[in-house]
Amino acid sequence: MQPLQQLVQQIINGLVIGSVYSLVALGYTMVFGILGFINFAHGDVFMIGTFFGLVLLGTGHFNFTAALIGAALLTGIAGVAIEVVAYRPVRRFGKGFEDTMLVSAIGVSIFLETLAQIIWGTETHALNSGIHSVDFQFWGLNVSSIQILILVTGVVLMVVLHLFVTRTVTGAAMRATAQNMLAARLMGIGVNRIIAITFAIGSVMAAVGGMMVGAYFDAVYPLMGWTAGIKAFTAAVLGGVGSIPGAMVAGVLIGLVETLGSAYISSGFRDGFAFIILILTLLFMPSGLFKARKGEGKV
Amino acid sequence: MRLHLTAIALAMLGLLAAGPVRAQDITIATASPLTGTCAQDGNAIKNGAVLAAEIINSKGGINGRKIKVISEDDRSDPKEAATLANKLTNDKDVIAVIGHYNSSCTLAGHPIYARGHLLELSPASTSPAISVEGAKPNSFLARTIITDADQGDFVAKWMVKDRGFKKVAVLWENDDYGLGLKEVMEKRVPAYGGQCVAVESYYMGETKDFRPILTKVRGLNPDCIFIGGLYNEAALVAKQALDMGWKPLIFGTDGIFSPALVKLGGPAVEGMMFSGIFLSDAPIPIVQEYSKAYQAKFNIEPSEFDAYSYDAMLVIAECIKKGGATRDGVWGQIHSVKVPGVTGLNVFNASGDVVKDSIKMEVQNAKIVLAAK
Repeated sequence: MQPLQQLVQQIINGLVIGSVYSLVALGYTMVFGILGFINFAHGDVFMIGTFFGLVLLGTGHFNFTAALIGAALLTGIAGVAIEVVAYRPVRRFGKGFEDTMLVSAIGVSIFLETLAQIIWGTETHALNSGIHSVDFQFWGLNVSSIQILILVTGVVLMVVLHLFVTRTVTGAAMRATAQNMLAARLMGIGVNRIIAITFAIGSVMAAVGGMMVGAYFDAVYPLMGWTAGIKAFTAAVLGGVGSIPGAMVAGVLIGLVETLGSAYISSGFRDGFAFIILILTLLFMPSGLFKARKGEGKV
Repeated sequence: MRLHLTAIALAMLGLLAAGPVRAQDITIATASPLTGTCAQDGNAIKNGAVLAAEIINSKGGINGRKIKVISEDDRSDPKEAATLANKLTNDKDVIAVIGHYNSSCTLAGHPIYARGHLLELSPASTSPAISVEGAKPNSFLARTIITDADQGDFVAKWMVKDRGFKKVAVLWENDDYGLGLKEVMEKRVPAYGGQCVAVESYYMGETKDFRPILTKVRGLNPDCIFIGGLYNEAALVAKQALDMGWKPLIFGTDGIFSPALVKLGGPAVEGMMFSGIFLSDAPIPIVQEYSKAYQAKFNIEPSEFDAYSYDAMLVIAECIKKGGATRDGVWGQIHSVKVPGVTGLNVFNASGDVVKDSIKMEVQNAKIVLAAK
């Protein structure tokens, strides 16, 4: 393979994994936009979603698409359940309890990881997605059908989400809640309902992302939420926490940086690149690429 | 009167609960990852020791005393291993420890065990760094598995000399285990007339996307890939290479050898080759007996690490028999015992390394068999 083709191949690899980071990063950023706290359980929601898919596929009654939809729905419900059980009671104390919610989120994270280990064991499972991966070759490049699937799904979901937030009434309500929860409530917006919808959407995205990497790497395990979660979190920070387009762009950027970095600098530093970006962002651009105006318009 | 009878009955119940008066149990600990990425092997270590203790106890124990096994979880985390080492050394009942699994954990626990005069007998850690530590006086460190230096050399010769693959790409796990194998390869592959065309590292349990590495390696046209790591990653490498439309020849050492490799890798790992010591369905009577007992008790196929752990328990039992049930008694015998086990004859050299021969294995029709060439 020529150097140029190799570079293009690596860029494709980076775009694919980056679009998964974007999907997961959306969950972090949307929740932060509205509630002002980092939902550290989000990585584990991603893991739970993948296990739902694994179980559905394992029954033999579902093909990959059906399992993907089923897992997304179940995870959406799980996301809302987590909101109602672990965060809503804390929120009743009023503003200024974001730190308490953070602790609650860490609790949920530990709970989900432990629960998954008890139910499914600690080992790595093959997802057996049943997708017949076809390898397309052109100009000396290899692109597999699963890579195309991930890219297309990622782009479509992000476009749909963007339209939903900017063009629908519910989306407007979400943006209003993000700007000022009290004022939104006074305007007759069911704030709790909007928050539940936000969690549901974030969880669905995470489940789809989880199923995509599950199929891509064919590896599902209880602690898979940690690495993906930390990368997605980095993407959310880089994009400007609270900014949806920011999370999308930054996720892809992180995927590209770590792929190219591990190809041309050192494969050993692969996961390090995400953290280097995180530190640099916090030092020099704390509000991220897509600066959210202070106190408003975060979503 | 009724009160008296009740009192007597209660007293008898108390005696019953205390059990028959017998010699105190001998406590042996296992320390391995029971949760996390290496949990399969970690639990195998626990199982092997438990099975050996059960068999020894059913034959009357050691000089009439039974073995009690306690199993601890180090979560593959060197920090956790050090904490466990402190806990176990402070527990005066513990006479010897079978552990740890990851070389990093074995090395992290080592100074603490040595201070506490507690034998650390690893059934799984293969890093050459352990030989260096084990060779020091009163190291209280030994292992029932052969070192990476031996296995790496064996595989280097197999790839380059026996099979004629001159251009080797080395992928290594970035910890003490992988580093040891990588260093052996960088020395031994050229020694047999080959060349390491790529040397790339990854993180065990964390790196899932091997495409960047594989894309780069493929561009260098190697004759074969050597993986200095474990089965999870080996399966991922093979699957992702296949997904890229590439089926490279992959070699490895016993870290790759696990029934889970075939389960995870499916058709992608067909033809993968690796070294090892123990093959559960090898036509050797003691091995077949062991496999049957293991399957009957745990309802799963034995892997390699339960066998090493089983042998470790036999070795400790023999040392106790000869040197007495004390920490120093066990350590005093380790370099002189000769214990036939399921992984071969266990004899230890001055650095505490067991001296055994490797065998060549490969995956064929979703089964691990002795390699044809």
